[in-house]
Amino acid sequence: MSRIKRGVTTRQKHKRILEQAKGYRGRRKNTIRVARQAVEKAGQYAYRDRKIKKRTFRGLWIQRINAAVRAEGITYSQFMHGIKLAGIELDRKVMANLAMNEGAAFASIIQQAKAALPAA
Amino acid sequence: MKALSTQTRSIKPAEVEKNWHLIDAEGLVVGRLASIVANILRGKHKPSYTPHVDCGDHVVIINVEKVKFTGNKLKQQTYYKHTGYAGGIKEVTADKVLAGRFPERVLEKAVERMVPRGPLGRQQMKALHLYAGSEHPHDGQQPQVLDVASMNRKNKAAK
Repeated sequence: MSRIKRGVTTRQKHKRILEQAKGYRGRRKNTIRVARQAVEKAGQYAYRDRKIKKRTFRGLWIQRINAAVRAEGITYSQFMHGIKLAGIELDRKVMANLAMNEGAAFASIIQQAKAALPAA
Repeated sequence: MKALSTQTRSIKPAEVEKNWHLIDAEGLVVGRLASIVANILRGKHKPSYTPHVDCGDHVVIINVEKVKFTGNKLKQQTYYKHTGYAGGIKEVTADKVLAGRFPERVLEKAVERMVPRGPLGRQQMKALHLYAGSEHPHDGQQPQVLDVASMNRKNKAAK
């Protein structure tokens, strides 16, 4: 039986890792030992941050909605309560988008939310 | 009507509209004023707020030497700095700063500590223009007067 040498496989494996490590800093981009660790860790961060991304965006939408409704004299929490009472089922992403790009449309939503709130 | 994008957009630095606000600080409470100013500098009052872009406005504040502290803070609020030498910690109270050469430092410090530290925070702090007395050189920018005292009764210190 013929002998199998490991060099070819090793080279292929290392190449795959080093290609993923392109653009990393220092030895992380060209030393297989360090590059392998860095690529593994990068994958863990990427997996985690795909979930965290959804939370940070929700936070940003809330900040933008809050900025828009405060200009009309109510707070975010009052606005969300008014939205619920008025039966408007737009989500925060859409409302933040409206607030940023379609000020007039969002102003009418604010008016509806205000009208639905019980008189303070 | 052009179709709305389904993606959340970040505002680009070139699209940011920098407005100017003018505040008369006479009789206003330092911390309350500073928190309002810090939010304006950061752009958190705009629906296009983007955390990594300087999207705040310019704020011109006059009469900064006439700000108020509540309680005993005028005499008790202390600012520390270190000269770098052993035993070189220096302290100065707020009333001394307000009576000294640079009374604007009281409000400047208060706002600076409410803006996140970092390259962006330092850039946003540059949009803050503080002047003792009622004169300011920004008439060309036509700053809009912002009446902080009317926002909340606690913003203006009681006699």
